[in-house]
Amino acid sequence: MLRCAAQPLPAVARECATDHAPRWRPARAPGVCGSTQFRIQKELAEISLDPPSNCSAGPKGDNLYDWVSTIVGPSDSPYGGGVFFLDIHFPQEYPFKPPKIIFRTRIYHCNINSQGQICLDILKDNWSPALTISKVLLSICSLLTDPNPHDPLVHSIANQLMNDRKEHDNTAKEWTKRYACC
Amino acid sequence: MVGRLEPLLALSAETTMLLLRCYLWKEESLLEDFLTDQDGTLAKVGLPEHPPSPRIETGDDTFVCEICYCDGSDEQFLALWCGHRFCSDCYRTYVRSKVLESESWRIRCPAPKCKTLVGLEPARLVLAGDTAALERYEENLTRSFVNDLSTFAWCPAPNCEYAVECQVPRSAWTTMVPAVRCRCGKAFCFGCKLDDHSPAPCYLVERWMQKCRNDSETSNWIKANTKECIKCKSTIEKNGGCNHMTCRECRHEFCWVCMGPWSEHGQSYYNCNRFDDDASKNARDSVSKSRAMLERYLHYFTRYNNHEQSARLARKLLAATEKNMEQIQREHTLSWIEVQFLSEAIDVLSMCRSTLKWSYVLGYYMLSDNQKTIFEDNQSDLEMATETLNELVENPISKDGPSIEEFKRLVIDKTTYVRTRWETILADIVVGLQENRWQFETE
Repeated sequence: MLRCAAQPLPAVARECATDHAPRWRPARAPGVCGSTQFRIQKELAEISLDPPSNCSAGPKGDNLYDWVSTIVGPSDSPYGGGVFFLDIHFPQEYPFKPPKIIFRTRIYHCNINSQGQICLDILKDNWSPALTISKVLLSICSLLTDPNPHDPLVHSIANQLMNDRKEHDNTAKEWTKRYACC
Repeated sequence: MVGRLEPLLALSAETTMLLLRCYLWKEESLLEDFLTDQDGTLAKVGLPEHPPSPRIETGDDTFVCEICYCDGSDEQFLALWCGHRFCSDCYRTYVRSKVLESESWRIRCPAPKCKTLVGLEPARLVLAGDTAALERYEENLTRSFVNDLSTFAWCPAPNCEYAVECQVPRSAWTTMVPAVRCRCGKAFCFGCKLDDHSPAPCYLVERWMQKCRNDSETSNWIKANTKECIKCKSTIEKNGGCNHMTCRECRHEFCWVCMGPWSEHGQSYYNCNRFDDDASKNARDSVSKSRAMLERYLHYFTRYNNHEQSARLARKLLAATEKNMEQIQREHTLSWIEVQFLSEAIDVLSMCRSTLKWSYVLGYYMLSDNQKTIFEDNQSDLEMATETLNELVENPISKDGPSIEEFKRLVIDKTTYVRTRWETILADIVVGLQENRWQFETE
């Protein structure tokens, strides 16, 4: 699918993508179990090898803690056909603190506001250190298919979704066409 | 409580304790839920009846930690009874980071969506060796005990570490003030954590403070005393002169009475012939109404504020009195115990000041009727007595005044009288509130 959006992968990941050794292990400082960097590298390797459907992600530049990701709107939703860019920032305490994810592309969705902030439980209280970026991206994809109007970030959109689904979908489609299609 | 429930529920001490914490220590509702739906209740803590003691294990080749991806037989790992295994380093970092977020018993297994609570025993095991985190964990446990129990609250005094218990149910707070005194000496209201505000109940105090805080009264004043230029909307206060207004901002000329443009007034200068229009009548009515409301508020506020200031002065007076007491002691060769009457008088004064202050809040919201008149009579009675006592203790003993014995007798008599009045009035207000003697203005 639309992998064009992904940035050129950094050396580590590319090496890994070509070398399919099953027990590949990036170098890490001896005795430092759970170092953030090691974990992010490992996730990068995994997401490059086996990306979740309709998603891609990788570092923006040299900084391993700042990623950019793309999500292709699910075809069974009004966002179908759109390509949405997201910024991912890993805090120093990752994975014990959740990553910060925001939509860079505007989207008409009751759980995502105009600043691109996402209202998703696993990015806040229900974050678990055993979750990965790839699982989070999948959750965001399913949020696009099934918006949650009962815990909205944008009340007006949530109200419209509950009262006039058709009009809501039309606006969402229009926004997708306007902001998310190249 | 745990010891009592443990055999009753046939659960381990750990599970019982976590359940009790989950139910905010409400024994009855826990028992009720547990007896009707045992599995559902246990699912809340995600624990079995007797969870096995956690052990840090090692030597499993297939182990991979899902947090840091370390693997191999040399890794130490730990799993709660739910079976989610993580390496002990990650477990420690996880629990430590939660502890730093002030969490304690609510920490759950790190696996996504797993409901199993990391109990006290596993948490202590994981944190063993990290004294700082362990101490913080124990502190959080105590804190959550106080926070979870509705009958406990932290003393609001700065640097005070005591918690205070109050058994007055929340439902009674509308008719009485749950005033408590901490061991550190701080007297406060258990309901709103403000200083003791007897006899006014919390909800009235809250409304009053809100009213004093926000500038609603300023806007009331603006409403009562000013009008807006119809053209440029500048606020104009008319402080004299005739009704022919010229706006200083936009030079618009209009009539203050009917607000219409001055040009329409033709030759009938200084005499608005549209004065009796319904619209202008209504406008005048609303202006005078809001002015009356403002005056009423100010009446109560000045008295409330006056007592607050006097209470502040009374504290100063206390310092002065202490000096005075020493002086009297020296001059009249009295013992320390014999001059205590002065500081007692000041104590009574401060109590009365506080009560009087809050009684004005009560009075402000009270609707006028005969009962209110009685209330106000009592109030003025106490107020008068308080002022007399204040005056008495404030004036130092002079040569031509009464002798020290006479002075002492006067002060003691007055103090006793004021104290009795104070006790009677306070008791009467408490009874009155409970039997709904007064009607209060609703929002």
